[in-house]
Amino acid sequence: MFSLRRWCLLALSLAGVLVDAKSSTGDSVLVVVDPAQQDNYSIFFNGLKDQGYELTFRSPKVEKPVIIEDNVSNFAHVILLAPEAKNLGKDITPQSIVELLSLKTNVVVALPTKQSPLHALAAEFSLILPPPGSPLISYSPKRDTPSTLIPISVEDHSSPVLTKHIRPVWFSGIPQALGNNPLLIPILRAPAESFASEVTVTSGSAEALVDAAEKGGEGLWAGSSLSAVTGFQATNGARITFVGGAEVFSDELAQKEAEQYVQSGNIDFVKEVAAWTFQENLVLRIEKVEHHLVNGTEPKETYTINDNVEFSAYISKWNPAKGEWQPYSGLKDLQLEFTMLDPFVRTALPPVNGAPGKYSTAFRAPDRHGVFKFVINHKRKGWSFLESSTTVPVVPPRHDGYPRFLSAAWPYYAGAISTSVAFFLFSTIWLAGEARDSKKGKAAKSE
Amino acid sequence: MPSLAYPVPTDLSPATVKNTASLFRIVTLALISGAAIASRLFSIINYESVIHEFDPWFNYRATRVLAAKGFYEFWNWFDPTAWYPLGRVVGGTVYPGLMATSGVIYYILQALNLPVDIRNICVLLAPGFSALTAWATYMFTKEMKNESAGLLAAAFIGIVPGYISRSVAGSYDNEAIAIFLLMFTFFLWIRALKQGSALYGTIAAVFYFYMVAAWGGYVFITNMIPVHALVLILMGRFSHRLYVAYCSWYAIGTLASMQVPFVGFQPVSTSEHMGALGVFGLLQIVAFIELVRSHVSSQNFQRLLRVFLVATGLLGASAFVFLTYNGKIAPWTGRFYSLWDTGYAKKYIPIIASVSEHQPTAWPSFFMDLQMLIFVFPAGVIMCFRELRDEHLFVIIYSVMASYFAGVMVRLMLTLTPVVCVASAIALSTLLETYINPVEPDAAVEVVEPKQTNGETTAAAAPSTPAGKKAKKPAAAAAAAPTSALSELVAVSSGKKTASSRGIFGLDTRIVVVLNTLWMLFFFVFHCTYVTSTAYSSPSVVLASQGPDGSQHIIDDFREAYYWLRQNTPEDAVVMSWWDYGYQIAGMADRPTLVDNNTWNNTHIATVGKAMSSSEENAYPILRKHDVDYVLVIFGGLIGYSGDDINKFLWMVRIAQGVWPDEIQESNYFTPRGEYRVDDNASKTMRESLMYKMSYYRFADLFGGNQAVDRVRNQQAPKNIELDYLDEAFTSENWIVRIYEVRKEDILGRDLKSANAFEKGKKRKRSKPITSRRRALAA
Repeated sequence: MFSLRRWCLLALSLAGVLVDAKSSTGDSVLVVVDPAQQDNYSIFFNGLKDQGYELTFRSPKVEKPVIIEDNVSNFAHVILLAPEAKNLGKDITPQSIVELLSLKTNVVVALPTKQSPLHALAAEFSLILPPPGSPLISYSPKRDTPSTLIPISVEDHSSPVLTKHIRPVWFSGIPQALGNNPLLIPILRAPAESFASEVTVTSGSAEALVDAAEKGGEGLWAGSSLSAVTGFQATNGARITFVGGAEVFSDELAQKEAEQYVQSGNIDFVKEVAAWTFQENLVLRIEKVEHHLVNGTEPKETYTINDNVEFSAYISKWNPAKGEWQPYSGLKDLQLEFTMLDPFVRTALPPVNGAPGKYSTAFRAPDRHGVFKFVINHKRKGWSFLESSTTVPVVPPRHDGYPRFLSAAWPYYAGAISTSVAFFLFSTIWLAGEARDSKKGKAAKSE
Repeated sequence: MPSLAYPVPTDLSPATVKNTASLFRIVTLALISGAAIASRLFSIINYESVIHEFDPWFNYRATRVLAAKGFYEFWNWFDPTAWYPLGRVVGGTVYPGLMATSGVIYYILQALNLPVDIRNICVLLAPGFSALTAWATYMFTKEMKNESAGLLAAAFIGIVPGYISRSVAGSYDNEAIAIFLLMFTFFLWIRALKQGSALYGTIAAVFYFYMVAAWGGYVFITNMIPVHALVLILMGRFSHRLYVAYCSWYAIGTLASMQVPFVGFQPVSTSEHMGALGVFGLLQIVAFIELVRSHVSSQNFQRLLRVFLVATGLLGASAFVFLTYNGKIAPWTGRFYSLWDTGYAKKYIPIIASVSEHQPTAWPSFFMDLQMLIFVFPAGVIMCFRELRDEHLFVIIYSVMASYFAGVMVRLMLTLTPVVCVASAIALSTLLETYINPVEPDAAVEVVEPKQTNGETTAAAAPSTPAGKKAKKPAAAAAAAPTSALSELVAVSSGKKTASSRGIFGLDTRIVVVLNTLWMLFFFVFHCTYVTSTAYSSPSVVLASQGPDGSQHIIDDFREAYYWLRQNTPEDAVVMSWWDYGYQIAGMADRPTLVDNNTWNNTHIATVGKAMSSSEENAYPILRKHDVDYVLVIFGGLIGYSGDDINKFLWMVRIAQGVWPDEIQESNYFTPRGEYRVDDNASKTMRESLMYKMSYYRFADLFGGNQAVDRVRNQQAPKNIELDYLDEAFTSENWIVRIYEVRKEDILGRDLKSANAFEKGKKRKRSKPITSRRRALAA
């Protein structure tokens, strides 16, 4: 039964391929959501389905379908939209979510206000969550909604993840303070005038908050240094997004007006977040690298010191609209290192005009033999990491590969030649003289 | 006719005696060669035809490259898997003589359509060359005394443990062919000196070149021959024979030796070679002075000589100092200093001191390696003094120098062994000749005139007695000694008068002494066989232990682990281990290593030492920087294998301390009471070090709750060791080799310790946003 449904879904999604965006890593999505709440997120889910994703729903109380079987992830992406559930199932623990990432599965996590295992999970990503029961609160701008439901205006290009203009987003949930992990990518910052506090504290002046923070020993939970939605890209390329509250995805907030007659940006925003998390946007990969002598074409097993070496990399970007990898020449800051323990050469790897996706540079190999590596290590926030390492030994010249007949060496050549000639002359004269002597001796004897 | 102690046949013609004697010599030499080869085959019979120890594995690997790719590829071989990532220019950092020898043998056998595996050539090369060594020693000793002494010396060198220790089958090391070359070069030098022959000098130079290409110990020849020449000059024994022999040897030998890439310009630029150059210059000066003397009156000559000597001496010394100061001549190397000051290496170059064969020799090992020869040896040297021809001086100098060096370094016992054999053979053959000689002294007895006279045979006709050729022969006192027993026999049987006032009376004395000597010789053979079979035939790659019932149990952990690496890891997986095992990993596992037995880069070794002696957190960046995938440690605690890494650990610490004195301190690895312990009393630094953790990881589990005991150190082994940055990948049957895999960085950017703690479900301490009121208000 189940597989039949899946096939149907697959067929549906195939039908949608032609027009809609696609992920570069797969279409199967597991959504863990309370069945009672499922309809509240219909706009979000339908949007995903329209894009061609194949959604599987699972209640937090049910154990099936399992996410990891035999060390293989059953889904390409996972959405955890049941924040308030006490636990998400036996096989969904913080540990298994980290394991999902190591299996290159992408995850969207909606964080709960209450204490839950997801707090421990967030801590592993250098995210610091406020104490339980303290959502983000803002009294500005003045509005008729509760103080915990906040409209957050999104500046263009405030995060690399958001690629288009987005109208203000309604947010309700907890903020996250960011640790110093460079892999974190804040997507939606909390407004400057907001703070996290228990809802009962309604007086909420800044001074009181600071005092409370220091007395309570909980630190300062206020201002735009907090993040409402945070992305994280693991070193293996898997992406995870922490959303402060599940309401951001809800139909209610999607349809709510942010300002008068202006619909909120929630629909676009969650679409963008999902697009980034599910490896649609900002996905690059190195197709291949090649190296050869400047005047050659074939890669060599080893290079000789001081050789002029040309190195090229071919980089493609995922085009979600067409669903294919396309050569990409847009990187301006790509670098190549030629390293042995330390980089001996570090040079720009610029795109080649007229050859889409090709980046190439030539340099002189160092005057040092050893096992070198061509290293590309391109890490930019939001973009997938480009890492490549090609090992190649650099060897000293062969015994007959050294330069010969140097003009500077002429004194030595002259020395060798003159000695040889002198030895030859001396031997000749000596032998000739000896012969005459012996003749004389013989003559003398005979006489 | 002098009275004879026992009857000898009188009806033999001298030609028969001579022919029989030479037949006996040939047969004896053949038998000696057979014994020399056979006694080196214990290792193959007891174990198998396998390459031994450490350095031979590299030689074997290099030989395979040579055999497979040819000489030029070998010469240009850059090994990217050694000293990762520095690589090693093998062609330029190796003495290629050994590999070239095997390669040539291999090619010849191939050309003869004898498909012999290159491994078997390598395994059997050392025994084969030991037969040649016996022959070379025979030739050398023949120059010193006579054939019978030569045969004794050949027999000694053939089976003496001091030489066997480096030349059993499978011990495919440079020394395997070097001792033959050493003895043969010396023989040729003596020949050249005796005859003043440029031809022999040149042949000596050719073999000197072979020696240079084969072994770093060639420096011994480079200094031995000049010292001999210098002593001869100082004793006023300068002759044109010396001049011709030395100059032809030095000029051709030095030029030839510079063709070896590894040696290069060293013969003209390092202090070790300056002695030979100096003596060469001195010889020219002395020869020039001789020339002047023959043309100038003696009074003027004295004045001239004084001025000239002072001037050249000053000039030469100042030039040497100047060039050394300018760096044109390299100063003495550390290995050289450690020859004079045995404490030097330990202080300044721990890497040299850490090698067990560089330690000073213990007294018992002299007896172990040479047995009775060590007692007879001084007697032989004294015999040389009694005659003191030019070549005897050589033996004297050789024995003095080699005795000293053998006392300083265990491995130099090898250079002492040949001269001990030669000198002992001289002494013993003198003894035997004296006592076997049937002629009794005629002091008290009336001289009975011989009735039958052949008349033709005289002392001069006695064949091949080097003593006979010499004019400087000492007077009658030693007349009996230097001539060989056989020629004596001939002389006696032919009725020559050899009556002397000294000699041995009666048969009983003779029998007692000769039997005693024979018994000693027999016991020597017994000792050699015993030592060879028990002590020196272990390949050390395969170990053997004896069960309580005497049954042999083979411990093959090394090969088990190396083959595991070969079968289960990617080809470019880098393996880190202490340098002792580098060659074996490269040879048997075929994986890149960080450091190996070619200890050319102290810093790189110290880096490994630092990684081993640091805590996991500090070692991890070092491991990752060097792309280490696996770490291999040797642990003997389970079966009591004492040569394991924990016992070598202090050397790692010392070597690391030499480079990073701020981070690694030896004293931190001892208990407060200054003990080196591994149990619960071990110091904190010790317990946290990577080496310690890797050695004892999960060791206590093996004892199932009982007290875990380390059988090498007889201490309790620690429990509950946790590794966060490494995973145990493989442990061999007897736990001797343990291999750990280095974990990759955490994908979430955490340190592996907290990642591991998370994995085990431990709660992390709650963190807070870093802030302060003042900063908050300012913002």
